[in-house]
Amino acid sequence: MKHLKIDNLHVSIGDREILRGLSLDLPTGQVHAIMGPNGSGKSTLAKVIAGHPDYTVTSGDVLFDGESILEMEPDVRARKGIFLAFQYPSEIPGVTIANFLRAALQARLPEGEELEATEYYAKLYEKMDLLEMPRTFTSRPVNEGFSGGEKKRCEILQMAMLQPTFALLDETDSGLDIDALKIVSHGVNSLRGPDTGMLVITHYQRLLDYIVPDVVHVMVNGRIVESGTKELALKLEAEGYDWANEPEAEAVGA
Amino acid sequence: MNMATAPVSGVPLIEGALVEGHWPEWFVASRQRGWEDFQKLPAPAAKDEKWRFSNVRALSLDAFRYPGAVADAAALTARSTGLGESAARFVFGNNRLLSATAPAADLVAAGLVIMTLEEAATKHADLVQKHFMAQEAKLGSAKYAALHRSGPINGVFIRVPKNLEVAQPIEIFHWVEGESSAVFPHTLVVCERHSKATVVDCFRSADGAPAFACGVNDLVVEEGAKLNYVAVQQWSPSSVAFHLNSTIVGRDASCLGMQVNLGGKFVRNENYSRMVSEGARSDMLSVNIASDEQMIDQRTFQDHAKPNATSDLLYQNALTGKGRTVFSGVIRVEPGAHKTDAYQKVRNIVLSDDAEANSMPGLEIEADDVRCTHGATTAQIDDRELFYLEARGIRPDAARQLLVMGFFNTVLDRLPDARLRGHIEGLVEARLTSALRS
Amino acid sequence: MSDTQTQLEIDREKGNFRYDVDYEFDAGTGLTEKTIDYICDVKGEPDWIREFRKDALRKFHEKPMPTHWASKDLENIVFDNIRYYLSQGQKPKRSWDEVPEDVKRTFERLGIPEQERKFLAGVEAQFDSEAAYSNIKEAVGKQGVIFVGSTEGLKEHPEIFRKWFGKVIPTGDNKFSALNSAAFSGGSFIYVPPGVKVSHPLQAYFRINAENFGQFERTLIIADEGAEVTYMEGCTAPKFDTATLHSAVVELVALKGAKIQYITVQNWSNNVFNLVTKRGLAMEDAEVKWIDCNIGSRLTMKYPGVVMKGRRARGEVISIALAGDGQHQDTGAKMIHAADDTTSNIVSKSISVGTGRATYRGMVNVPRHLKGCKNNTECDALLINTNSRTDTYPAITVRGTGNACQHEASVSQVSEEQIFYMQQRGLTEGQAMSLSVNGFINDLVREFPMEYSVELKRLIDLEMEGSVG
Repeated sequence: MKHLKIDNLHVSIGDREILRGLSLDLPTGQVHAIMGPNGSGKSTLAKVIAGHPDYTVTSGDVLFDGESILEMEPDVRARKGIFLAFQYPSEIPGVTIANFLRAALQARLPEGEELEATEYYAKLYEKMDLLEMPRTFTSRPVNEGFSGGEKKRCEILQMAMLQPTFALLDETDSGLDIDALKIVSHGVNSLRGPDTGMLVITHYQRLLDYIVPDVVHVMVNGRIVESGTKELALKLEAEGYDWANEPEAEAVGA
Repeated sequence: MNMATAPVSGVPLIEGALVEGHWPEWFVASRQRGWEDFQKLPAPAAKDEKWRFSNVRALSLDAFRYPGAVADAAALTARSTGLGESAARFVFGNNRLLSATAPAADLVAAGLVIMTLEEAATKHADLVQKHFMAQEAKLGSAKYAALHRSGPINGVFIRVPKNLEVAQPIEIFHWVEGESSAVFPHTLVVCERHSKATVVDCFRSADGAPAFACGVNDLVVEEGAKLNYVAVQQWSPSSVAFHLNSTIVGRDASCLGMQVNLGGKFVRNENYSRMVSEGARSDMLSVNIASDEQMIDQRTFQDHAKPNATSDLLYQNALTGKGRTVFSGVIRVEPGAHKTDAYQKVRNIVLSDDAEANSMPGLEIEADDVRCTHGATTAQIDDRELFYLEARGIRPDAARQLLVMGFFNTVLDRLPDARLRGHIEGLVEARLTSALRS
Repeated sequence: MSDTQTQLEIDREKGNFRYDVDYEFDAGTGLTEKTIDYICDVKGEPDWIREFRKDALRKFHEKPMPTHWASKDLENIVFDNIRYYLSQGQKPKRSWDEVPEDVKRTFERLGIPEQERKFLAGVEAQFDSEAAYSNIKEAVGKQGVIFVGSTEGLKEHPEIFRKWFGKVIPTGDNKFSALNSAAFSGGSFIYVPPGVKVSHPLQAYFRINAENFGQFERTLIIADEGAEVTYMEGCTAPKFDTATLHSAVVELVALKGAKIQYITVQNWSNNVFNLVTKRGLAMEDAEVKWIDCNIGSRLTMKYPGVVMKGRRARGEVISIALAGDGQHQDTGAKMIHAADDTTSNIVSKSISVGTGRATYRGMVNVPRHLKGCKNNTECDALLINTNSRTDTYPAITVRGTGNACQHEASVSQVSEEQIFYMQQRGLTEGQAMSLSVNGFINDLVREFPMEYSVELKRLIDLEMEGSVG
């Protein structure tokens, strides 16, 4: 079992502190959900773990199986096994999905070793079938002109192909209708297993009906204020975040 | 080899002017420099890039002279009908002030200044001296800018003080009258911090005689201010006209400038807009109708000196008869002006076989994190659309008119004020009717 | 990538080597009437060519440098220091075995004989002023296709040569066409008889080997009625400390219903001034297509053109330019519509890296009383670094109704978000940048024949250096 451990993390963008002492321990084999109101810092957490250059870690640490990854370039972290399914995936004009994924897999092979094309396509098609994606998808440029649902499916397809140790799913449900949500959730569920840990970030409880988490964390103002079982998500859905918000607001005021 | 250059005379254009008016010393000195520059600077040559596709032969100024006073000031004032209601109205004829309607007392009390440039050159010497032709004429007509500076000018100085919003437009009329008269209108507007104003310049001929106009305007829009400026050019169809514009837009300020060219035989417009601070925005718009043997030659420059500024240019031309247009525009993004968002588009609709549209949209980009696009299209009225209208019983002439007005609506719709829009639309439509008939 | 100090390194090393060669013929430095007499004498040219050259020399001296619109860098060319004619002999060999060893090994290293075996219908390999090798596959020769050097063309086939030579591009078209007309040597003369479709490309390879040298090849291609031909040219030179000049003139004539496709992969070293005039004439239902890729040189000025002289003629320019540190790629296209229902298309993509500058200049002209002419122009520029530069200067003239012209241009950059996205999938910053750049030009690379697009990808085998600052 491996652990992705976030230890008392403080993160700023410019002068503004967004994460204020966040701690979390995600082991492989588990799915954790992070819920919280808009602006609580959920997406920041995912981007910081992936190494986005806009954010500054002022204190605390992120440990991949005991080793700090904060000094590593984003691509080194990715090859180590961290995958971020983006809330807003970038368009890459002219680069097809097939070529892009091949380059990403090739980057994971030792120097001098070439990716085996037949195996690659067999695996690619298998995963695409799982996500109900037509074959013609492979020759489309990455995310260019994709609908919201297509973008999210494309993110999960990449996750399936790259087989990360820890996957961070940032608002994967945003922009999805119910049918697309089911397909994406089905894809994610099929990737659950003892060797994979997942952090599902969402604003709505709806996604957690389909991807049932082992642990639910509530995040407010850059910190985890409560953790519990999946029932906690139902409570949030019913009562909103106000109960969690208020003591924090007082604390900030003081 | 074609070595054609524009012949230039000079003295008769200005000699009458130098004895008139009461100008302060600084202005007299600047006038002298202008005259020296005018003599010194070379006339435009056909092979000069800044005059490509133009007609430098049309620039003979020999016949023109500084005119005497207009015959009937009251009559011209009466003919100066525009928007109806305005915050202030100034009427000039042959470079002389004919009448002035001062702004309301509360606006004056709030600090609004509207007066002739001559008066302002003394009373607001600091401001006028700071902004009067501060921007070098870079787009090809430096010689004519120097001629303008050399003295025979008249026009209006407007200062909109901090935080004041002037609801009604300020209207300025410049008339020219008599055979071969030369006029030199100038408008200087300073919109101070967070102020707002609309200024409309109307350039008109009192008769059908050939005239020469050499106008300059300086628009300064300071932090957070908003200026709408519209120039409607209706000189007689045998006139030669230069209209050189410089706009400086400050932090979070915006300027919407529109040039409407309905008259003249040879018209040269140079519109220079410089975004000097972050958040600045400049909308550069133009509606042009070229018919008969008219030449409308327009050069524009969107100068992005600082990051995060926006400029959006849309010029539309309808050409008929032997009308010719030139559009040459540059978006320039200076090094370091990142997050620039600049757009430039010229659209031509060609309505006759002898009309000619020349488009030169240009980009000069020296910063990498920018969004800059430009485009140029040239087409004619869509036969299917024409047929559709005719099938509804609309006569071909009226159908063409309707379709061309539809084409112009894209620009006219950008005017922020419905009354102003209606007024301009009326003028454009009237001109189009005569252009389509000729 | 405003805060990223990234550097793209392009594989320009392929041509950067040089073997010593003995030249039997050397016209010395500078260009005078004497130089012209020397060239005419060693080539054994007829008098009309001698006159043609001398007239061109006068025009060259008369014409000013076009620095009122073009780069001032042109002023750094010292015409008196350049050697205008260098060769080992005037007759190209028909077999590689006969090519002198010192020259042959250069072309072998560049892979030319191998490509010839694999996929070409004919090859001409020019070394400084003259072709060292020129051959055409027997089967193609039997169809009546002529593929020889310009000197042989004007001597052996004067009836076709004189009819078109200097007619598409008059001597005085510009200063450099006049220079070429005065000093030209080498280049190809191709004639494809009516109805003959040459299935494989004909290729020319231009090699500059000598320092302080000027290469002035002259190419004339005539595709007779209904004929089709594809011509490809490649070029390299070693890196010298001094400036080298390459100034070619290429004239294409596509008669009724003919098709000519002209492909260039320009990879001159960074000391070469590459000032080239290229124009094609397309008669009724004919098509001229320029596919132009500029990677090398210090300053390239090249605006391939098509004069559409017959009804329904088509012209096309597909252009890729890569301007690296210190380079200026000043390229574009010229489309002259001279008949009804003619169609032209321009697609230009440029990439500016480091202090590189890419300029697009376009001219589209639809004169009066034509109907049904269409032009479409698309220009896209990609900027990689904060000090990179791009300019776009199109000029579109349309007279009269019944025609449609459309020009669109955009400037973009590889955004930091895009790079982060790819890095998150495990690619290094360099790989991510390279993939983005290749994605940007991908649709145009596909226009090149298979063999060449592979070559091209290798040329634009981008390597990233540097780090996030």
